[in-house]
Amino acid sequence: MEQEKQTYQPRTLETQLPFSWKRLFFQWEWMLLLILVAVLLFGSYVSPYFLNYPSLRDGTMVFLDKAIIVFPMAMIMIMRDIDISVGSTVALSSVVMASLYTTAGLPMEVAIVACLVTGAVCGLINGLLIVKFKELSAVIVTLGTMILYRGIAYIILEDQAAGGFPEWFGFFGWGYVFGIPFLLIVFAALAIVFGILMHQTTFGRKVFAIGNNPTASRFSGVRVDRIKVIVFMLAGLLAAITAIFLTSRMGSTRPNIATMYELDIIAMAALGGVSTAGGKGRILGVVIAVFIIGYLQYGLGLINMPSQLFLIIVGALLILSVAIPKLGSMIKRK
Amino acid sequence: MLNEFVLELEGITKAFPGVKALDNMQFQLKKGEIHALMGENGAGKSTFIKIITGVHEPTEGDMYLFGEKISFKNPNDAEKMGIAAIYQHVTSYPDLSVTENIFMNHEIRHPTWKTLNWREMHKQARELLCELGSSIDPKAQMNTLSVAQQQIIEIAKAISTKAKIIIMDEPTAALTARESEELYRITEKLRDEGTSIIFISHRFEDMYRLASRVTVLRDSKNIGTWNVDEISNDKLIVAMVGREINQIFPDKKMSAGDTVLEVKSLSNLGDFEDISFSVKSGEILGMTGLVGAGRTEVCQAIFGITRFEKGEILLDGSPVKSRSPQEAMQNGIGYLAEDRLEQGLVVNWSIEKNITLANLSELSSYTWLHRAKEKEQAKTFGEKVQIKATSIFDTVHSLSGGNQQKVAVAKLLTKDLKVILLDEPTKGVDIGAKAAIYEIVRQLAEAGYAVLFVSSEMPEILGMSDRILVMKEGRIAAEFVNRGVTQEMILEAAMGEEPVQKKSG
Repeated sequence: MEQEKQTYQPRTLETQLPFSWKRLFFQWEWMLLLILVAVLLFGSYVSPYFLNYPSLRDGTMVFLDKAIIVFPMAMIMIMRDIDISVGSTVALSSVVMASLYTTAGLPMEVAIVACLVTGAVCGLINGLLIVKFKELSAVIVTLGTMILYRGIAYIILEDQAAGGFPEWFGFFGWGYVFGIPFLLIVFAALAIVFGILMHQTTFGRKVFAIGNNPTASRFSGVRVDRIKVIVFMLAGLLAAITAIFLTSRMGSTRPNIATMYELDIIAMAALGGVSTAGGKGRILGVVIAVFIIGYLQYGLGLINMPSQLFLIIVGALLILSVAIPKLGSMIKRK
Repeated sequence: MLNEFVLELEGITKAFPGVKALDNMQFQLKKGEIHALMGENGAGKSTFIKIITGVHEPTEGDMYLFGEKISFKNPNDAEKMGIAAIYQHVTSYPDLSVTENIFMNHEIRHPTWKTLNWREMHKQARELLCELGSSIDPKAQMNTLSVAQQQIIEIAKAISTKAKIIIMDEPTAALTARESEELYRITEKLRDEGTSIIFISHRFEDMYRLASRVTVLRDSKNIGTWNVDEISNDKLIVAMVGREINQIFPDKKMSAGDTVLEVKSLSNLGDFEDISFSVKSGEILGMTGLVGAGRTEVCQAIFGITRFEKGEILLDGSPVKSRSPQEAMQNGIGYLAEDRLEQGLVVNWSIEKNITLANLSELSSYTWLHRAKEKEQAKTFGEKVQIKATSIFDTVHSLSGGNQQKVAVAKLLTKDLKVILLDEPTKGVDIGAKAAIYEIVRQLAEAGYAVLFVSSEMPEILGMSDRILVMKEGRIAAEFVNRGVTQEMILEAAMGEEPVQKKSG
């Protein structure tokens, strides 16, 4: 018999990473912060009314309503899907709310609840369609519902405006709490809630798992379909919240509100570092990207720049945001 | 005698930042020989191929083709010089036709119009395939073919480029015994026609059957080249692993306990029919058969991934229904998927996140994830299966095949399971890691799990199993108690001509 036995030295695995400056600074968020500073400097350069607290504070009201939807959109994109029906969902929820109040004469509180339910149902329908018809991509499904929801909004309101809401309803769009816009507080709260949801809960972990490898996730016991439906429903629900803020700020609604919102929202998420290939992204980056795009729009609005210019800049930023990390790794390889 | 060798490598070194992937490599390939190249994963085989095929340029050293010094700037250069490679994972265009795949990059054009000459290409494709003794329709779409057929197409493609040297990278890895036989025949035919072949494989059978010489790589170096009939199996393993492996298959120390999993006449039309078997606690039930015999389908039905039409699954005597993997694991059934990269692991995640993925609910309260608990669990189970890595934060992508498989096993261990279904757990894993996986499998059985061990490799089925099921065309063709069973008996059951007819009423 052979005497010498295989000597196994038990292997240990480290559970602590040594501190590394590179890891601390090699983050997309730093780049986004730089871009944000550049946008603020640009704003102060083109307009004397831009860079001061009241201006920056109230400027958020212009873009934070739609930015609310960016959180679930980031989750959807992390799961390799997309939802381009959110703009239409905003319109439909808003129109339902307005017509229940004006035409049906229901109390405003009930109309608001109906608005939230409408949004959630829209999202639920998206989610169910995507999960049940796997051969259809999310782009096609939500392209369909985008047209569908908008169409229903037109049937309900027939290209009319509806308004005349009670005075307290204006609080959503214009109200301040301790000198801070209510909308900004809601946005900050949602950012924290979604930040925790995505990065500190099992739900978020599973969302990332699905985005990285849906099959392996399913084989590991992740209920992929259920999570997808929930996230799409969240997108619908937050679209309805956007509808409330937007309708309140405008004082009335039409079936054509929130057109092209989906593009701005997708742009915010992508600039924020959400990988279009799925599986990657952080709420912090998305939040900074919201302010970059938002303040850019606000600054250009202050000096009455044509909105086409805004589109050009956002387009260029988007392409840059995709190209810069690539450039970095290309330089490293050289 | 310079002309004896079609390809010669003189002191080839390839250095990447921080590592030497190939160190002072000497290699000679004769005309019309099949030369086996063996070595563990990470030994430098892939770098070696990439240098010959022009994917990488060597840092140092010279390469001679037909006695002339050459250097390749890119893979096209190598292809033009008559070097072709066929990879384990076929790198074809799945949505295109056979003809399109064969003539990709060297299409035949009409002499005057310069348009694609489809008629000629289809004709030549058919002739090529005919020469290889295959009747595949050149107009068939690539993804309708089996892996074995796709490999034949790759070989046809290599021949159509008039390759003088063909490199085959683990071509038999995904093939059944019969398909391998077909590949051997074609390879030998090519050799007899004067083509030189470098044949890379983990399977010793391949080497003994085909090669006249064998070169072993270890730690980026050429350990030696031998004539195949002059080297023993043991000596080869020592050369490859660098140490002696006294025993590949661990001893069995315990006898089986009570029946845990019982499958009763499970049927799903077209996949499998009338499957009945049982596994006891502490027992390893081997399941083998040709690829496509329905083994994976049975596992996936038990694991709740796919549905079955008829039959019953009992755990500890009481029937269970698993409509999803999640329910199956709750019932106590775990499954190690055959394709660990696609189905088993999130490869660009850390070891930690992979290990805990199936068990997140235990590591959280009200969905809030406890990071410290997570780390602890990853460490505990990662060390239990002896993953070779520095920290739990290493990405799975950076690990070798064997260590990736250990991560997948560790993930299963985090769950409270009674039954573990292992679907080809050693596929694409080198011999050192195989022994480690066998050890783990035996430990699982000893810890009281009921283990179903699915494999196409006869030696490991015979070496590991307490009992053996042989599947054939969706049915169980034979069951053996593993005492005095031989490879021939299993092969006969797996391929035997008369089908086991059992009418289910």
